[in-house]
Amino acid sequence: MNFNDSLRSFKEFWNEFRKEKTGLVGLGILAVFVILGLVGPFIVPFHGAEAHWRDIDYWQDNPQAAPPVWTNAFAAKKGVPSSSLSAFKVEAETQDSGAVIKTFTFDYRFSYDQPPRDLIVRVPGSGQIPLVISLERPDGLAAEIYRDQVELSDSSPERVSVARNCGQAAVEFVRAQDADLANSMSADLVKPTSIFFSKLGPETLDNPAMLKGDYKIKVKALLLSSDFSVGSPSILVSGHVSGLMGTDASKRDVFTGIILGIRWALIIGILTSVISVVAGVLLGIIAAYFGGWVDWLLTRLYELIYLLPVLPFLIVISAIFKPSIWNMIILICAFFWTGSFKTVYSMTLQIKEETYIEAARALGSSKWRIVFKHISPILLPYSFASMALSIPAIIVYEASVSLLGLGDSTIVSWGQILESALSQGAMINNLWWWVIPPGLMIALMGMSFAFLGTALDKILHPKLKTR
Amino acid sequence: MSAANASVVALDTILEIDGLCKEFVSHRNHARVRAVDGVSFSVRRGEILGLVGESGCGKTTTGKLIMRLIEPSSGTIRVEGKDAVNLDREADFAYRRRVQMIFQDPYASMNPHFRIRDVLEEPLLIHGIGASREERMKLVEEVMEKVKMTPASDFLDRYPHMLSGGQRQRIAIARTLILRPSIIVADEPVSMIDLSTRAEILHLMKTIQADMDLSFVYITHDISTARYFTDRIAVMYLGKIVEIGSQDEVIDHPAHPYTKALIEAVCEPESGRVGIMRELKVKGEIPSAADIPSGCRFHPRCMFATDDCAKDPEPELQEIIAGHLQACKRYNG
Amino acid sequence: MSDTTGKAEPVLRVQDLKLHYFTSRGPVRALDGISFDLARGETLGLVGESGCGKTTTGVALLNMPSPPGRIVGGSVVIDGTQIVGLPDRELRRNVRWSKISMVFQGAMNCLTPVYTIRELMVETYRVHCGPEALDAARHVNMAKLEALMAKYVRLVGMNESVLGRYPHELSGGMKQRVVIAMALFLEPKVIVMDEPTTALDVIVQAQILNLIKQLKRDLGLSYIFITHDLSTEAEIADRIMVMYAGRMAELGSSEDIFGGPSNSKGGPLHPYTQMLLASTPRLHRRRVSELAFIPGSPPDLIAPPEGCRFSPRCPFAKNKCRQLDPPVHEFGKGHLVACWKAMEESEYERS
Repeated sequence: MNFNDSLRSFKEFWNEFRKEKTGLVGLGILAVFVILGLVGPFIVPFHGAEAHWRDIDYWQDNPQAAPPVWTNAFAAKKGVPSSSLSAFKVEAETQDSGAVIKTFTFDYRFSYDQPPRDLIVRVPGSGQIPLVISLERPDGLAAEIYRDQVELSDSSPERVSVARNCGQAAVEFVRAQDADLANSMSADLVKPTSIFFSKLGPETLDNPAMLKGDYKIKVKALLLSSDFSVGSPSILVSGHVSGLMGTDASKRDVFTGIILGIRWALIIGILTSVISVVAGVLLGIIAAYFGGWVDWLLTRLYELIYLLPVLPFLIVISAIFKPSIWNMIILICAFFWTGSFKTVYSMTLQIKEETYIEAARALGSSKWRIVFKHISPILLPYSFASMALSIPAIIVYEASVSLLGLGDSTIVSWGQILESALSQGAMINNLWWWVIPPGLMIALMGMSFAFLGTALDKILHPKLKTR
Repeated sequence: MSAANASVVALDTILEIDGLCKEFVSHRNHARVRAVDGVSFSVRRGEILGLVGESGCGKTTTGKLIMRLIEPSSGTIRVEGKDAVNLDREADFAYRRRVQMIFQDPYASMNPHFRIRDVLEEPLLIHGIGASREERMKLVEEVMEKVKMTPASDFLDRYPHMLSGGQRQRIAIARTLILRPSIIVADEPVSMIDLSTRAEILHLMKTIQADMDLSFVYITHDISTARYFTDRIAVMYLGKIVEIGSQDEVIDHPAHPYTKALIEAVCEPESGRVGIMRELKVKGEIPSAADIPSGCRFHPRCMFATDDCAKDPEPELQEIIAGHLQACKRYNG
Repeated sequence: MSDTTGKAEPVLRVQDLKLHYFTSRGPVRALDGISFDLARGETLGLVGESGCGKTTTGVALLNMPSPPGRIVGGSVVIDGTQIVGLPDRELRRNVRWSKISMVFQGAMNCLTPVYTIRELMVETYRVHCGPEALDAARHVNMAKLEALMAKYVRLVGMNESVLGRYPHELSGGMKQRVVIAMALFLEPKVIVMDEPTTALDVIVQAQILNLIKQLKRDLGLSYIFITHDLSTEAEIADRIMVMYAGRMAELGSSEDIFGGPSNSKGGPLHPYTQMLLASTPRLHRRRVSELAFIPGSPPDLIAPPEGCRFSPRCPFAKNKCRQLDPPVHEFGKGHLVACWKAMEESEYERS
């Protein structure tokens, strides 16, 4: 068939396909997955998350096990969404001595019922630089949160965690307003963010009421020489709710994980199912059509592999060879081809008795030609359906393997997210935002392939038109 | 060489069958079924031989043996003077261009996923005929004209299920012609087609046969269509030929009791037959080919049978008049 | 209420019967106004190409078309009972198998292989006479049923022992006899047979035809014999109705259709019947080197042609034929034809 032929038959196929609503739904969902899989890594809030998925330091700024931001809409006490403050004003003031004071002013609107868990300020730059971080509150009070001289470097910015480093500063702030209250506080035990963001009064320690309004955070750096420099600081408000899908117990953003997982789900699912089904179908046809010793050999091979307990095998092989995800795919294929083999085998046994196969033989057709030109096209719908239906199983299989710690630790997959959710007690702690998204994604992807498979089945069978 | 062939081996004999046997062994009960039990006949160039018989007589199996779709247990087949049984791969491939088959079911004989264009192109692709698509399509259109399916473009893109039974059979015929064979084996080519179109297909086959000087082996259970299409008729029963001769002779002067019964059983479209019982000088039904009766295999059903018919060795074909042979000992003119 | 005025009243009267199959592409007008009578003891043959509606007529008489088919008009009166509009339960108990039964096409291949012939026949009885008929005073009724089954098995030329056998143990001819016995043994008045001999070997075919003729003679039942083969109809049918595209083309006695002996009188009047006859192969006439055929194929019944449905294929078609549907006209006693040409020629002859 030349190009025009292929084009024409594709157009025909598309016209037919358009009529199948379920097929279009399946294709639509799959298209969304593919697009997200391609652009996802660029649009997720945490770039480079894939390489650092298991890097604790990378995620240290996130809240731990925080629900998604939109749950605030249903919460009685609104938690603080994690956010990063980006808008700032820069002022540079040159003093008589030649030193420059650079002030970065950040605006922050606070309207929540709980204080932020932490305020993390990162300052890049170079040189020995005194830093002062101060907070201007809506009630007019100003607090000096932090004062220190630090050695800045661009490669690893100085990290100030208000919750950890500013206990003393918080007590001093209280002392300026109410000395007695301050005396009852201990710098090690107070929660600085709670103090800075709540109304001052006797309940500040036990049951603070939040001071809502516009806050200004100022970062002042004193550059004593022109060799020193200070770059744009970043402030991260670490809250109670974070991201589109919350965070897990290791502080990782679940949404990022899901998006990154799309790629792997598609790769693992599609690649494995295509390879194993194609292998199973071809081997099934060959065994049934050629018969004789070929049949004997392949059927024995099928029986052997079919009976093998897959998991113990994978455990042994993984323990010895520590496979990457690519080796894992090949391994799963080696077991999964048996799924379609037997069905195709019995279908071929029937097909080979058909008159048109006999006619092809009578014309002098070689056996291989019959296998590829006559028998395979008939099994195409079954193959697609089989591929579609095996994908969810494959994804879950990979997850099971990950569950045993045998998964490829260089990738992020939905199975692994599920695995970590289960092993780190997501169910017990009611961290539903950690468990539902990966499960939902697996189901959605499986469903889209199932819809596709059904629609393809209806089209690729020219006889199966409704009366 | 048997009597059947001795009198008719002429220089232009294109197909010669001698003592052909095919035995099947059933998997289940190891019964040996002798589907074809010593069949001999020959066909000349441009001649149409009809193989007529009921189910189980071995006519279809004989056709498949000629087509080399199954292998004979014993006996010889010679096509154009050359052995057609023990062929190496190359010779088998070449053989398939000389001998073609029209199957009974016009729908089942074509892959439902193939368009008509693909169905007809396939033989060319298999045998490497035609260097380019255009060349092959020209041959395809030529052959569609021969079977009166024009304009070809109307049909080439269709799938088999979009054509009527008669049209499909015409495509099947076209498929056999495209390789320019010498012999065509037609296995019940019109029995699954509407009566009103049967004649059309038979007429077409006859025209093509005369045009291309083809030889036909026409297999059928319907002796009436054999009258219209064949030159000679061989009547088969339980794996053997019981009578063979020109179609005039066999139909107007049947000699073997089975042939007589077959002819008596045929209905004619005439008035005055209602209420008249047919006199069938045959009883019972066809026995299983796994359990062939002793002596003359027809004797349990034959109304003329004597005790000797069961005990004597199986009768051979004897010539009555030139070219007309039959196998009944009791026959006496 | 059954009529007891004797032979004058037809046992089956069909008037303007219409049956459509409601498919996704539109309604297929499989039967579009069929009318005929069947007298007691008579055999009527329905003949035509595939798709002409003959099988549909058969199942319509039992009101059991395969879905999506439905009777949409007309009337069918069997032995005084109007069938159209009767609910299924009524039909099953009081009409099917008790007034009219059917031997379906290929029925001999549809005998459930895991039941013996006896069990199959008993089930038929239970379905049509109700399980109560059998359970109440079981022994007595079972004995009566056994006697009935044995009688009919013998009547179709077989030994009673066949009741204990399984279908796969029987040959083709025997299975067909069993199926015929199953259609007879509840003693209906009308029996519809759809291609009862087509799948059989030639000699067995002749044997079964002989059997049917014998049953006809001995039991005096009325038959409707459906086949595509005119030669088979010639053997068995007193009158023949030729159908085309869901309508009647011609209806007449065997002599009307085939012509009297030595072609002296009668002969078909509808071009379709004539062409059908000419395309039926003969064994014993003087050799006809050319067998006729009818070019083209039957029309699509979702959108049948205007006017006479046969006009696209008819060599005699005129403008009138393509525009107006010819009415059914009686030529001679009981010889009905729906054709403009035939009407014009008879007028011409008369004048």
